[in-house]
Amino acid sequence: MKYYEFGDKTGRYVGRTEKYDVYASTLAGIGKDEDDHEERTPGEIYFNYGPSAGGLRESVNFSILTPGEAIRDVIINSGFKRRNIRITGDSISDVMLKVERINGFHSASHSIAYALAVEDALNVDNSDLNDARIVEIELERIRSNIDVIKGLCESAGFAVPEKQLLLLREEVARIISTAFGHRYYFSVNGINSVDGDFSRITLNSVEKQFRSLYDGLLSSKIFLDRIQENGIVSDPLSTGPAARAANFRYDARLDSGSLNYGKYSTVMESSGDTFSRFLVRAEEILESINIIESYDIKKIYRKNRMELNGSGEGTARIESPAGDLFYYVKINEGRIMDIQMSSPSYLNMRNFRYALKNGNIFTDFFFVWESFGIWISELEVRFQ
Amino acid sequence: MGKLRHLDIGTGGEVSVNWFINGVKKRIKTEKLDKYNLMYPSILEGVSDYNCPTEAINNGKWNMDKCIFCRQCDLNPTGKQDTYSIDQKIPGIFKKSLYLYPVDSGTCGACNVEFTTLFSPQYDSSRFKIFMANTPRHADALVVMGVHTEGMEQILREAYDAMPEPKIVIGLGACALSGGIIGRSAMEKYDIRIAGCPPTPASILNAIIEARGKK
Ligand code: SF4
Ligand code: SF4
Repeated sequence: MKYYEFGDKTGRYVGRTEKYDVYASTLAGIGKDEDDHEERTPGEIYFNYGPSAGGLRESVNFSILTPGEAIRDVIINSGFKRRNIRITGDSISDVMLKVERINGFHSASHSIAYALAVEDALNVDNSDLNDARIVEIELERIRSNIDVIKGLCESAGFAVPEKQLLLLREEVARIISTAFGHRYYFSVNGINSVDGDFSRITLNSVEKQFRSLYDGLLSSKIFLDRIQENGIVSDPLSTGPAARAANFRYDARLDSGSLNYGKYSTVMESSGDTFSRFLVRAEEILESINIIESYDIKKIYRKNRMELNGSGEGTARIESPAGDLFYYVKINEGRIMDIQMSSPSYLNMRNFRYALKNGNIFTDFFFVWESFGIWISELEVRFQ
Repeated sequence: MGKLRHLDIGTGGEVSVNWFINGVKKRIKTEKLDKYNLMYPSILEGVSDYNCPTEAINNGKWNMDKCIFCRQCDLNPTGKQDTYSIDQKIPGIFKKSLYLYPVDSGTCGACNVEFTTLFSPQYDSSRFKIFMANTPRHADALVVMGVHTEGMEQILREAYDAMPEPKIVIGLGACALSGGIIGRSAMEKYDIRIAGCPPTPASILNAIIEARGKK
């Protein structure tokens, strides 16, 4: 384990796996959580929303504590769609097929983080693939951030930009499938290998279209009014764009050794509201385009299907579109004996709740929810 | 990176954007369903004795519902976007409008995203009179995605029971149909089975259009 050790907490808190609390460079035992939910007072009700409802893309239930219009607190039950995934004793490559499907929309991030952890465990020199993997993750970030902003427009009933962002999301999906043969990067990443034609990635049209939409949204007073000063949260226990929107310079691209981004500047905002999260997501689209273009990879990579047989423990932490994504693997003679994964949706869900109960009313709900870009799929997975 | 662009806002003279004009200027982006093609997922051809991770190859034969299109075997992709089977035609009453209600039983999220892509300008499902319902009470077809999960079993049943007759059930993706590589299928029986991991938007629309039959 090159980057992590078991021990006391050190550095910032990154998230939680089934067995560990994950910090910047240590894995510690799980700490005790205090229940800080608000008590219901006379006249208040719990309003139930989900787990299956038209406005929700994934299955999740919210019990919203309210005296009528204001949201005082929310109890979140994300466990309805919990998937138990069997991995123990499977080969490294069979487990990859499952890891890719933990969060299909962020599959490049998950599959690369898993590959990096395996390579760490087996001391595989992977430096040749550093840039290609960064390009994949940044392209995934572009699509994911477009999707978050689309969600905000949908919440505002802004049908034209919403549809234009859907159009753009689909254009990026097609760029991904043209370069990598699959719209969600399935079967693209392997141990010390990548399968893709990087010369097929061209982002000029995406950049042009996005800039024009972004300018339009920044000039739309109604849109800005809806997202400014709503869902404010500023908590040191946060991750990804939500942390950076609240002035915490947290970014695995800066403080993790798993991938080397070289010189890179983080997009920061300070208000911690939905507007700041929107700005960080939007600016990061442009920054990701810069990063991809700066590498200017024109190579075709082909997958290496070699099975590895070693033993060891390894870790990796990368910046997925929503924040820190951590993997730990334990391998015995080429078989996976344990995986511990911490996804950014864990901290984002926690902060979504704090943001929502911070002086919002019912009509703010969807803006706050969409601005965190949470995926239940990666939150509710148990490895067996 | 240059100066953050938003710093220019609020400095007076708000430019108002007419989104309607903006939308019209973009012109029609809706496409024919065969305009964009890809190989995975699409119909696979040939015979293989590959040791498929999901047992989608049995005695050399391919079982589309089990295939996760992992690209490991030597079956040949055709690019044909009709990875579906129709066990029950859609009742004629739905020719003028068909409302879909999606239920996520236990997905990775990709099937959900492909489902929402049906409503993108490129696919614009409303031209085929296919719409999304916000509640099962207003739905004609239940679209089931993801593997079976304990927590969603009853919710899925309740959603089906809440739908008015006649109603149909569409299984979307390897997880829902067979469990794929993740678990077991979400429901025992579907009227329309759309294979893929995830199925492409074109396959989903082609399946519904064929199951509904010509006018
Ligand atoms: S492509 Fe389909 S049939 Fe071939 S090995 Fe993969 S899952 Fe099996
Ligand atoms: S069928 Fe494939 S894409 Fe769809 S939910 Fe299952 S793993 Fe994800």
